[in-house]
Amino acid sequence: MARQIIFAAALLITFGVFLYTVNRLVKYFSFTRAAFPVRDFWKRTGVMLKVAFGQTKIFRKPVLGFIHAMVFWGFCVILLGSVEMVIDGLAGIEKSLSFLGPLHDFIMASGDIFAVIIAIAVLVFLARRLFFSISRFEGAEMKKKSHLDANISLTLIFLLMVSLISMNLGYLGYMQFSGGSAEGLYPFSALLLKTFGETSGGSFHIIYEASWWVHILTIFFFANYLPYSKHFHVFMSVPNVFLSRLDPPGKLDNMESITREVKIMMDPETAFTAAPADAAPERFGVKDAEDSTWKNYFDSLSCTECGRCTSVCPANITGKLLSPRKIMMDLRARMKEKGPLMVKNGRDFSDGRSLLRDFITEEELWACTTCNACVQECPVNINHPSLILDMRRYLVLEEASAPGELKAVFNNIENNGAPWQYSAEDRLNWAKDIEVPVMADLHARDGKPEYLFWVGCAGAFDDRYRKVAGAFAKILNHLKISYAVLGKEETCTGDPARRAGNEMLFQMQALQVISTLKGYGVTKIITTCPHCFNTLKNEYPDLGGNFEVISYVSLLKEFIASGKLKISASVMEGKKVTYHDPCYLGRANGIYNEPRVVISKMGADLEEMERNRSFALCCGAGGAQMFKEAEKGEKEIFIERTEDALKTGAEIIATACPFCMTMLTDGLKYKNREEEIKNYDIAELVAMGMGL
Amino acid sequence: MKILVCISNVPDTTTKIRLAEGNASIDTTGIQWVINPWDELSLTRALELRDDPASGVKTVTVAHVGPASSEPTIRKALAIGADDAIRVNAESPDAWYVATQLAEVLKKEQFDIIMCGIESSDYNGSVVGGMVAELAGIPSVSAVSSLSIEGGIPLITREIDGGKEILTVGAPLLAVVQKGIAKEPRIAAMRGIMMARTKPIKVYEPVPAEPLTEIVALEKPAPRSACKMVDASEPAKLIDLLRDEAKVI
Repeated sequence: MARQIIFAAALLITFGVFLYTVNRLVKYFSFTRAAFPVRDFWKRTGVMLKVAFGQTKIFRKPVLGFIHAMVFWGFCVILLGSVEMVIDGLAGIEKSLSFLGPLHDFIMASGDIFAVIIAIAVLVFLARRLFFSISRFEGAEMKKKSHLDANISLTLIFLLMVSLISMNLGYLGYMQFSGGSAEGLYPFSALLLKTFGETSGGSFHIIYEASWWVHILTIFFFANYLPYSKHFHVFMSVPNVFLSRLDPPGKLDNMESITREVKIMMDPETAFTAAPADAAPERFGVKDAEDSTWKNYFDSLSCTECGRCTSVCPANITGKLLSPRKIMMDLRARMKEKGPLMVKNGRDFSDGRSLLRDFITEEELWACTTCNACVQECPVNINHPSLILDMRRYLVLEEASAPGELKAVFNNIENNGAPWQYSAEDRLNWAKDIEVPVMADLHARDGKPEYLFWVGCAGAFDDRYRKVAGAFAKILNHLKISYAVLGKEETCTGDPARRAGNEMLFQMQALQVISTLKGYGVTKIITTCPHCFNTLKNEYPDLGGNFEVISYVSLLKEFIASGKLKISASVMEGKKVTYHDPCYLGRANGIYNEPRVVISKMGADLEEMERNRSFALCCGAGGAQMFKEAEKGEKEIFIERTEDALKTGAEIIATACPFCMTMLTDGLKYKNREEEIKNYDIAELVAMGMGL
Repeated sequence: MKILVCISNVPDTTTKIRLAEGNASIDTTGIQWVINPWDELSLTRALELRDDPASGVKTVTVAHVGPASSEPTIRKALAIGADDAIRVNAESPDAWYVATQLAEVLKKEQFDIIMCGIESSDYNGSVVGGMVAELAGIPSVSAVSSLSIEGGIPLITREIDGGKEILTVGAPLLAVVQKGIAKEPRIAAMRGIMMARTKPIKVYEPVPAEPLTEIVALEKPAPRSACKMVDASEPAKLIDLLRDEAKVI
């Protein structure tokens, strides 16, 4: 009975401390802003089963991924055993779940085996941390405490596993010597028992009892240590995966508060007379921990600082300050610092510090290319760019602060509808020698094309990319596709403005474009620029623009597959071609195969770069980086990526994005290889294959 | 201390200018109007001074001579951060007319520093600033590339041939500023845009004044002729072209 009372007391303390922690966290969460509504229960369950229980993303590093997966699955099984131990402890019985029969045998047996596997795995992990220098575990944000934290947690897990095995061993031994029959199967412990010589049943009983208590008390301690360490991950990651953002990674959330303002501005009736909206948020964007969403904070608590995000971040790889892991760690640390103050003094309390500047510098924020490599890599579906972008939004919308080049871009988009200073009247200059139908002309003759070809600012104004727009138009003409372009009526989709934090300007552009498109009754849009593609497809629906948006690579692939587009398989015969995945086609929208199919249909030898498809490295131009100087670092991202391409020995670097093209062309020039290696867009290759 | 920034409403710099019938004015259809770039930089510098408590500048007002249709440009200036605005309700036929109206504003309201862009990017007349100062009887300094306030006294740097001149001028004064006065134009913050809707624009009716000049005709520059490529194997052809066509040798 005394044993039960002691156990119940220990359990009560455990739950008490845990509830205290949970209560604090709930309060911290209450300070955060709303994020997306949690719907699609079944879809979320699917993601959770796949990513959390299936461990699919951790397998992106196969060997270590496998070891981690074994630990995770082992924990799941052993957890069931722990539940039994709690029941046993409270009821004063042994093996209370043995009525489950074979299932109980299975749980016990797999727990016994997994305990050994986990113990070994943990030793491997500890050895990596103690004796090897793993760059992923280092970085400015990785303080002594981070390392200590990991080592303590791993040691505790090791202790848990050893005590579990010795408990099983003791149980088997004492059952064997006391003549009882053991409930459950313990294959490893049984094997271990054989190596023991003559030990009295009494000793085994002591081993069993002692191990039982060590094991369960370690669990109780561990459960309450975790929330205060980076290994809170153990509790938070499965729910975090369930609560994943389900939108395509390339999509940025719409700011409703800005939509309201833009609508007031665009309506001439109310533009200058409407009173300031009372419901305006106290702050646009994120300056401090409480401005972030509950999901950002959830993300930060789920982070176990594994550094997979940072190890694939193009900015970080090239020596810039940004580390996606640090962004998450900073949010968590800031909430830990400010949360208690807000609990005491209210949400509006200011301690004169903030997440921005005291934790995260502007230089870090402006280094992000929004390539989503971190998002792709994170095993628990953390979304770092959404927080980075919200902080940029604060800088631009509240402080009117942005790198000088971006301010110029804002002015250009606002005044002449393109990030560069070109007149809208020159938008059709690329089509001087090509017959390109213009929407307004068709409309005047009551014509309605099937597709709108969205040329984009680069297609209209960038010297190199104008050739791509031309090549694609020639293909469309050759195939007699019913299409038209907007010409002078086209304007920037707003993508660079939005990614540079200027949500106001983005929405003004978006609403203007949507109104033009609706005016012509456009239903299907083809884009060559992946940035325009992503914005039109994923972001315009939030503002009422629902169109079928098709990337030209998908269309080309379809035409080739259906036999509509005939391509000579000999033009590229024997030529080594490598393909660079644009982030906004690949990771952001999952278009990886189409361009590769097109290239291989032309008879070319496709040589993949080491980092390809979802592992592809960004060219460095996304997230409005195209229009500004790179932040300080050791290397330019485009050079790093060009080196990837050069390593393949390809004579043609194919890509499918105007910004990637600019970056890789610059890279080839930097490396003095532009004479021998050519950079072509998929559309240009196809046009060549068609003899156009 | 109060600063007045005079702003002009000009076509966006990428605009393809078309002449209206009669070739004496421009066709304004479809033109995106913006704050004259020099004035925008003046405004940026004025706001920097206002935002620095040490400068002693309390308010920044913008003044513009133009019809109601130019209000979006004034609102833009308010969104960027000007505290209030004055609009003289008149078309602006020439520099003298505009200067007369602005000088009249200075009679009605007191300002310590008046800033005018050195020119406007539409007609590039470069005279309004000087005229306003003369009409108002206050000192003016031209080609100002830096303006700060040290101990309540405006300190000015101006570009001169081969160097810089640094001078102090007692207020009130008029500074005719050139690029360099501010690093880059300020952009509007969201609060600024929201507040601009309700910031006051005072409208004055113009005083009678006769324009001193009249535009008789505007002419567009001749389009640049196409580039002629000469094959590297035909140097003689290049020489012929340079001598007979370009007439440079």
